Amino acid sequence: MAFHIHRRSLLAMAGIAGAAAVVGPARAHRAEDGTIRIGLVAPMSGPNARYGSFSLRGAQLAAKEINDAGGVGGRKITIIPGDSQGTPTEGVSALRRLIERDKVDYVIGDVTSGVTLALQPIAEEANVLLLNAASSNPTITYRAGKGGMKWTYRNYPTDEVRALVVLKYAAEQRKLTKFSVLSVDSDYGRGAIAFTKKYLPRFNASIVTEDYYKEGEVDFRSVLAKIRDSGAQGILMYGLADTTPIIARQMIETGVAGKLPLIGNGEFNAEVTIKAAPRALEGAIEAAAWLPAWDNPRSKAFVAKFAAEYRESANNHAYVHWETTHLLAKGVAAAGSVDRLKVRDALSSIKYESAMGEVTFDDHNQARLPMVLLQIENGAPSIKGAVSGEIEYPRT
Amino acid sequence: MFWTLVEQVLNGIVSGSVYAIVAVGMTMIFGVLRAINFAHGEYYMLGAFGAWVAVEYIDLPYPAAVVIGILVTALIALAVGWLIMQRIVGATAETGVLATLGVALVLQNAVIFIFGGSYKYFNGGYIEPVTIFGFMLAEQRVLIIIVCVLVFLALEAMVKLTWAGKAMRAVSQNPLCCEVVGIDVGKVVLQTFALGACLAALSGALTAPVNVTVYGGMGEIITFKTLPIIIMGGLGNVRGTFFAAMILGVAESLVATYIGLQYRDTVGFATLMLVLMWRPHGLFSTRARF
Amino acid sequence: MSTVARNGRDLRLPFVAVLAALAASLPWLLGSYELHAVIVALTFLLPAYGLNLLVGYTGLLSLAQAAFFGIGAYVTALLAIHFQTPFIVNLLASGLIAGLIAFPLGVPALRLRATSFVMCTLGFVIIGQAIAKNWISVTRGDMGLESIPRPSFPLGPFSFTVSTTTGFYYLSLVIAAVATLAVWLIVRSPAGRNMVAIRENETLAESLGVPAWRYKIIVFMIGAAFGGLGGALHAHYLTVVTPLTFQMQYSTTMLVIVLGGGPGTISGVIFGSFLFVGLSEALRVAPELRMIAYGLCLLAIVFRFPRGFAPLIDRAWRWIGGER
Repeated sequence: MAFHIHRRSLLAMAGIAGAAAVVGPARAHRAEDGTIRIGLVAPMSGPNARYGSFSLRGAQLAAKEINDAGGVGGRKITIIPGDSQGTPTEGVSALRRLIERDKVDYVIGDVTSGVTLALQPIAEEANVLLLNAASSNPTITYRAGKGGMKWTYRNYPTDEVRALVVLKYAAEQRKLTKFSVLSVDSDYGRGAIAFTKKYLPRFNASIVTEDYYKEGEVDFRSVLAKIRDSGAQGILMYGLADTTPIIARQMIETGVAGKLPLIGNGEFNAEVTIKAAPRALEGAIEAAAWLPAWDNPRSKAFVAKFAAEYRESANNHAYVHWETTHLLAKGVAAAGSVDRLKVRDALSSIKYESAMGEVTFDDHNQARLPMVLLQIENGAPSIKGAVSGEIEYPRT
Repeated sequence: MFWTLVEQVLNGIVSGSVYAIVAVGMTMIFGVLRAINFAHGEYYMLGAFGAWVAVEYIDLPYPAAVVIGILVTALIALAVGWLIMQRIVGATAETGVLATLGVALVLQNAVIFIFGGSYKYFNGGYIEPVTIFGFMLAEQRVLIIIVCVLVFLALEAMVKLTWAGKAMRAVSQNPLCCEVVGIDVGKVVLQTFALGACLAALSGALTAPVNVTVYGGMGEIITFKTLPIIIMGGLGNVRGTFFAAMILGVAESLVATYIGLQYRDTVGFATLMLVLMWRPHGLFSTRARF
Repeated sequence: MSTVARNGRDLRLPFVAVLAALAASLPWLLGSYELHAVIVALTFLLPAYGLNLLVGYTGLLSLAQAAFFGIGAYVTALLAIHFQTPFIVNLLASGLIAGLIAFPLGVPALRLRATSFVMCTLGFVIIGQAIAKNWISVTRGDMGLESIPRPSFPLGPFSFTVSTTTGFYYLSLVIAAVATLAVWLIVRSPAGRNMVAIRENETLAESLGVPAWRYKIIVFMIGAAFGGLGGALHAHYLTVVTPLTFQMQYSTTMLVIVLGGGPGTISGVIFGSFLFVGLSEALRVAPELRMIAYGLCLLAIVFRFPRGFAPLIDRAWRWIGGER
């Protein structure tokens, strides 16, 4: 039976081969209609889709807004998604396809730093602008711009400045000096804590326990009980937006809530998070690149439109991709052309008015992003100051 | 010091009960199918998602949402069981692995396609904390522990006392002989598969309130958590699975307390390897199936 | 061969020549994206070969391939970044170290029965990732090792560095060809036949004097070495290694390639590697439905071709050979 081949099996094989052969023909043409094609590399299937989905929706909303307003110099914008599944191999495949098949001139991506690091050389080789909006690994900008990779730009904060400002506020204003670490086990969570450690001696502060949670972790009772009994005065947390409410709720369960404030970043200020566990979030300190409650008409309009369009509330990932798409459109408008080199130069000298304030790029193509320091008071974020400072690049 | 240990052991039992309900379904499916079900966590996800849809779209109260979650999963499981799992009976282990991987991809990404990949907030359940003998936990967790114990008592009774349960045991021991004595193996496989999937869905719907967020890809972690448990418990062994789940829960809790949360995911497999080195067939003999 | 009904001339040699010419001229026929997909398929072929020796020839289902793939990638990255070693050194060191690490892992694991062995191998991947994340002084943890130099060949006056996609394609092609030859030599040797004997009936094989356990551990190590080679090649290609390299997804991809392609055959695995990488890329035309369609194709293949494509390829090969 197995060796006996029916015509049906041959046909089935031909069908599969045919599907694979789609790789061959079907070449996209460079936008003759003058559309501006922006590729978006992000995880869109599998577990990491929970972040990529917000990215895509944010970017698509921005494209829709721009197109409704007449486009950029009369040209419409299309967002072309490329699924990275959160793995470098898939991300590179997606980017190469976007560049070659879909003939995109600009790419926004990825969320995961490990993927972004793999995308950088491809974009560099193809002379395609790679605008990152969600990876926090400092290496990405260390090696961008003056560091060598001219085509990578990052519109996302490096955590050094953030870590310092947060620690300073906690130590000086709140008189907290003993901390427990409970951050996400990624370059973002680990990196921010590494920066924090650099500045601990300056404030006579110390870390008493150090734990990192894996993405998707849901059980924090044991670690919270340990933190509760450790003598720490606050929990340093650089975490994920979807995990913060889980931890906050278990802080109530384990009796940590109200005793140890959360300090760091992880959408502590989102309405849904606070609603999930108001007692745990009270007094939390956060340095945020954006917050839904920010008092700015553009920001408010974005929050409202996102909720109306997708039936869910916007998060930081949605915002940064929305803002980055607008930023790119402004760059194209400023260049007065879709020529990549001109757009690149335009970005380097852009003064972009974001919902949070003015954004400019430094000589490492890293955005100087306005950030705010906030504290949760009576169940709502209260702004305590601005976060600013230049990034110190390592000498190489 | 001592009380910390006691508290952390209790914490471990709390998480162990979640694992137990998922794992027991998987181990029963393994019993009759001899196939590792890589899609098992997806039924956990479907249960949680079904309940979420019932709460968000139909405004049902939480208990009704749990029922909806299980019913939806049961329907999907029956379809998958009829179309795919029945064909795995008697096929090679390789076929089972590939087929269940395929099912996992389809279910996971179909949910992402329909509802969007983003995480959703689950509103409902009984999340207020209560104190029992100085040990604080959410009401929902008390409910989970009670349900877990009830599920295991019911399963023990079922496989010992009812005809359907005996048929499951028979199929898990020798499908060929079952055919001879007139047991419809295909039907038993379908029933067991649907029951196992429903137990996973029950666990998903029950834990959704304490886990706060649900998303299409949430099942994968559960699948990989469950796999070492069912091996440790002795494949196909219901009682063994219960104890293995508790052991894993406690071991994870102790590692999070004394070593570090970042090593937590390795605990399951590290424990499994140690156990297997000592007892290659798991802690609980596979001879005593169910 | 005289009893075989013939329907024409033996065209196998010309067919192989055409295939070879096609492989050599691929960079002119394909764009860089398609060439990239081919490179990925050739890279995945190496760990898939290793897995095939295990599952296809010796009957040991393993999910550990991503662990050895990751070890190979890290070894290469560390050597290339810290010591600027030439490519061939990195490649061989990765294979060797992955193979050696497999020994202490295999000794306890191989005592286990089928399903327990699978779970144990799955554990290697998860524990490997934890080590990559936490052994920060060596692996830089989640920051990863980036800027891995392009493959270099210091051959005196003929020194060169592979820096283009085309160059990388030829490099992968050569490595894949050498690996194919190596696997062919292994399975055609008496040792290969002993492996098949173990797969078919371990007890019987032992009674005939085949030292089954020793075979299994050696095959496990060779399989791991192939995984390491793949990791080394991939690390040089992507220029970055992070703990994400230790990912279950890689293990399942390898497994799909081998089982879907045709376990226990070389041609089936080659076909599987191109088929599944090609399928995954081709399905990008419908981004939202991509993985659903991929899952459905997997199911269709499992039930339509339960032994992979090997029987079909075998038949096609004989047809080309002029048999009826």
